[in-house]
Amino acid sequence: MRLGEPSKMNAAINITPLVDVVLVLLIIFMVMAPQMRNGPEVDLPDTKKPSEQGDERSRILVSIDQAGQLWINDRQVAVEQLGEGLREAVGTDTDPKVVIRGDAKLDFRQVREVMVAIEQAGFRGVGLIAKPAGAGAQGE
Amino acid sequence: MQFDSGGSDSGLQSEINITPLVDVVLVLLIIFMVIVPLLMKGYDVGIPPAATDAAPVQSEVPQVLLKLASTACPILEPPSDEGVPANCRVTLADQEIAATELPTRVAQVMSDRPADKRVLFLGADDRLNYEGVLRIVDLAMAGVPDLKIEFVEAN
Repeated sequence: MRLGEPSKMNAAINITPLVDVVLVLLIIFMVMAPQMRNGPEVDLPDTKKPSEQGDERSRILVSIDQAGQLWINDRQVAVEQLGEGLREAVGTDTDPKVVIRGDAKLDFRQVREVMVAIEQAGFRGVGLIAKPAGAGAQGE
Repeated sequence: MQFDSGGSDSGLQSEINITPLVDVVLVLLIIFMVIVPLLMKGYDVGIPPAATDAAPVQSEVPQVLLKLASTACPILEPPSDEGVPANCRVTLADQEIAATELPTRVAQVMSDRPADKRVLFLGADDRLNYEGVLRIVDLAMAGVPDLKIEFVEAN
């Protein structure tokens, strides 16, 4: 629009503030998302083709960290209290599923003992969580 | 509508307004960024119920046992590269084979079984590295996607 001309409207919407706000939201979610994750940081084993295990909010997460300590969701528990803690975590869920997030550096014994404890608490079958090889830093 | 090259008197804007498009796409992006890290991948495994352990059920199809010994398959540390080491040998139904042959061998053994009898009993040595054991599970399931894995005591 030149000065002096009869005013002609500029029809283009200025999208700069929109993009600005959306990018800020994006950054906020990027920062928040890893903190919404339940449980400790676990370096999951790399495997080729793990199958889908669903959304972690719909599962009971049993994590075994590198030091061999046990966590149910985001609460650390002693080995003896695992069964009790699991029953608490079930709540009103009618079809509870348990998954184990075990650290890649653990001995198989540590994972097997937890599997036996979960089985004794009355759960049939667990999911062993892995990350597809080359998927970057998922699970950290 | 006429398309005239020199006409400056028409106030029409020929540019498509991409703002709503960008808006929707970015919101979708945010939704997926929040959901994807919460999805997990892994392997469904089980342990035979302790009660029936003592009296093994004699079913019409024999049980297939895969044995992982720490001597024949020495994965005691997390493997440094992908897959299992070449020197790893496992025992599938009393036959010693290289671990890399597992997908084809397991598929062979399971091929003539009904889908609900495709169970592999896996006896892994306690000293083995967890990641190594999971990679063996991965190899076994590569041949038979609906395979059920049951962990048994290794002895």
